[in-house]
Amino acid sequence: MSAACFHCNEAIPEGAALIARVAAQSLEVCCIGCKAAAEWIDALGLGEYYRLRDVPAERPASEQNNFLAWDRPQLQRLYVRKLADEAAEVCLLVEGIRCTACSWLIERALRGVPGVVDIEVNPGAKQVRLAWAPGKIALSDLLLRLSRLGYVPHPLDAQALDMVNRRESRLAMKRLIVAGLGMMQAMMYAVTLYAGAFEGMNPSTRDFFRWLGLLVTTPVVFYAAQPFFAGAWRELRARSLGMDVAIAAAVALIYAASVYETVRGGASVYFDSASMFVFLLLGGRYLEMRGRQRATDVVDALARMQPALAQRRTPMGSLETIGVHELSEGDIVAIAAGATVPADGVLLDASCAVDESLLTGESSARMRARGDTLVAGSVMRSGPVELRVTHIGADTVLSAIVRLVGRAQTGRPPSARLGDRIASHFVAGVLVLAAATAIVWLRIDPTRAFAAALAVLVVSCPCAFALSVPIVYARATAALARIGVLVLKPGALEQLARIDHVVFDKTGTLTKNRMELASVVPCGAQSAAHCLQIAALLEECSAHPLALAIRAAAPPQSTACAASNLHTVSGAGVDGEIDGRRYRIGRANFALAIADAMPRADDDDAVVLADRHGALARFVLRETLRDDAPGAVAKLRRQGVRMSILSGDERSRVRVVAARLGITDFRSRVRPADKLRALHALRAAGAAVCMVGDGINDAPVLAGADVAVALGSGAQLAQSSADIVLASDDLGAVADARALALGTVRVLRQNLTWAFAYNFACIPLAAMGFIPSWLAAIGMSASSILVVLNSLRIKPPARERVKNRSEASLPAPRRATPLPA
Amino acid sequence: MNIVLVLIPLSLVLLVAGVWAFFWGVNHAQFDDLETPALMPLSEDFPTRSFTPTGETESGT
Repeated sequence: MSAACFHCNEAIPEGAALIARVAAQSLEVCCIGCKAAAEWIDALGLGEYYRLRDVPAERPASEQNNFLAWDRPQLQRLYVRKLADEAAEVCLLVEGIRCTACSWLIERALRGVPGVVDIEVNPGAKQVRLAWAPGKIALSDLLLRLSRLGYVPHPLDAQALDMVNRRESRLAMKRLIVAGLGMMQAMMYAVTLYAGAFEGMNPSTRDFFRWLGLLVTTPVVFYAAQPFFAGAWRELRARSLGMDVAIAAAVALIYAASVYETVRGGASVYFDSASMFVFLLLGGRYLEMRGRQRATDVVDALARMQPALAQRRTPMGSLETIGVHELSEGDIVAIAAGATVPADGVLLDASCAVDESLLTGESSARMRARGDTLVAGSVMRSGPVELRVTHIGADTVLSAIVRLVGRAQTGRPPSARLGDRIASHFVAGVLVLAAATAIVWLRIDPTRAFAAALAVLVVSCPCAFALSVPIVYARATAALARIGVLVLKPGALEQLARIDHVVFDKTGTLTKNRMELASVVPCGAQSAAHCLQIAALLEECSAHPLALAIRAAAPPQSTACAASNLHTVSGAGVDGEIDGRRYRIGRANFALAIADAMPRADDDDAVVLADRHGALARFVLRETLRDDAPGAVAKLRRQGVRMSILSGDERSRVRVVAARLGITDFRSRVRPADKLRALHALRAAGAAVCMVGDGINDAPVLAGADVAVALGSGAQLAQSSADIVLASDDLGAVADARALALGTVRVLRQNLTWAFAYNFACIPLAAMGFIPSWLAAIGMSASSILVVLNSLRIKPPARERVKNRSEASLPAPRRATPLPA
Repeated sequence: MNIVLVLIPLSLVLLVAGVWAFFWGVNHAQFDDLETPALMPLSEDFPTRSFTPTGETESGT
């Protein structure tokens, strides 16, 4: 008989044993790879792993040299993101992560390596986020170290992720069908047996049906129920009690008792209970897995939007098909209608329609004109068009968003850990209770002791406790991502639900960085339109924001008349002549100096046009509100949220914006430190404050709020210190997200209440022997399924989605003429 | 009642055949996507395969 390999547990072929020196012992291993892995793990002082692990390690891959490719800049560009201070970050999908011991091992083994900045392992998603200093260690070296541990790393791209999900769901489906068919057969035989018990069945026929029940239940227990046994073993190894321990104990008890009774020819068998129990629990698990996968689908879908190939225009003018990773900045790329934009770039053709739905949640096609930026991952509706590449691979907006969502999912909210802790205490309690039930019943009526203890074990449902938090969070995160709201910090969602006061930054948040003309007040004989025309001519060459606003408001000028002798006095205005008449436009004191007139008291903010005889007109300018600002404020007000504006800008400007939005509480000329103090004051007064800003200038202020929301786009997103990011750049999403967060917290509370109420009601009944074990199995599964189904009620708010989609999917005709923007 | 001795083995054979057929289907991607196929007839131009700009179709899984 050959021994098993110490590292991978596979049988060692005759005479092929190698000796690994581990913890000063000589142990047999099967191959050089395992020898290296075992000795390396030991040399790192991580021999503890062999005690912690529950599944033998995978054999290390023998081809270890192919990671060198990952050092090529062409490849790294796609998967690696540069961080501040000489560090880089990569997200890896790691094959072979099976349990927490694996994540422990990976974390411990890599954290000590010089050059590794940070490592975060998510065993559930089989993902590792690794930050390292490329100057100190090469990525290929880190990947090699991982593979030497027996884990095969894949820098994360969509297809790799897809494979893991698919394998998992296929296996789950097979287990489900085996359990389902096994259960049906076992129940048929059970019905025969029950009928036989009443009608009188001769013992040989009865035994025949019992053996049949054993035959169909065995694969259910040994194949379909495997995940429960593996999970229980893992929990026992980690010296914690989870729900798998209770399930496995119940299944094993029912099955063992039934086999014993069958062989002995005893009173009754419970094969139907065992297989039904397994089937219903697997059904619950399957639904849970689907929910979880659907949550990760968002990341997946985002990642998959990046096409692998692009068509590049060669210097000769022809098109060549190349891999997207071969693109570099400045390349000209052609995109056909229906194709996906391969990299961020500037549109070279006159116009096109693109669908950016996965990026922004907005599914209607958007028009883009020459010079506009197209974002990688958006789908071209009209085409073909050409664009000049500006950002590639990991620098694209899409990559930034994928990473943000991924990071948000790797972090576990504190409440999830709480759920696990409750579950483990709960299981310990149930096991004690089951034992106590058995002992008490043995004194009262020994024949019912087994059934009652079994029912207690089966009816208790720690799943409902343990499931409710993570599944609710997964749903909510996915739903929010679909409306363009990305939750970056675990726990931000609960905070958002408590918010009753929203503080806005002004510039960039409520207003665009642009002015617009509000009104023209003529002061002399000239009409407003004429004054506007003169003003536009005078401002022809100025790039001042006020000049731009006036020019934008004026009708197109005929080329016949033009201003001459234009002088720009910085900080004051413009002086010039039109048709021989001299005009001045600008600040009141500057413009009126030409006529020796005095400015009026209210001229402070207005732009004044004057000639030698005095003022001609006053132009009242104001900041352009963001299109979505009034809607967002109205929505929040309907939700009963108080609002304030904190701005570093001048009082008069802030007042105008606040008045237009109907916000009464505003403060102007506040420096960041004062903003922070104002937030603290609000919080001290009992308000739960949400700060909305553009996330770049006001990072410290954002950190002072209960929840910080940053509006932004592109690279700014990735650097923001916000808890929540509005990737859709739609201010109204704040209100939607708050409503969704409220719904999420409500569902969470319902789930926990239900789990508590169910267990509180059912366990005493089971202990008293009122619940047969099959009913207990249904009750437990129904309880978990109810929690899962309740969580599925969390959905993104409807936004006329259907209508937009049908419009967007209309075939877009190729247009020869430029479209109006 | 002796017919049971024929029928029950027969049902077990069918059971095994059913499980085998299901496993075959799962392994051949018949159950990977349970939602989109139902919608496909409703849309005339539903993208059944993703199109690369070169006009080559990516191999279906």
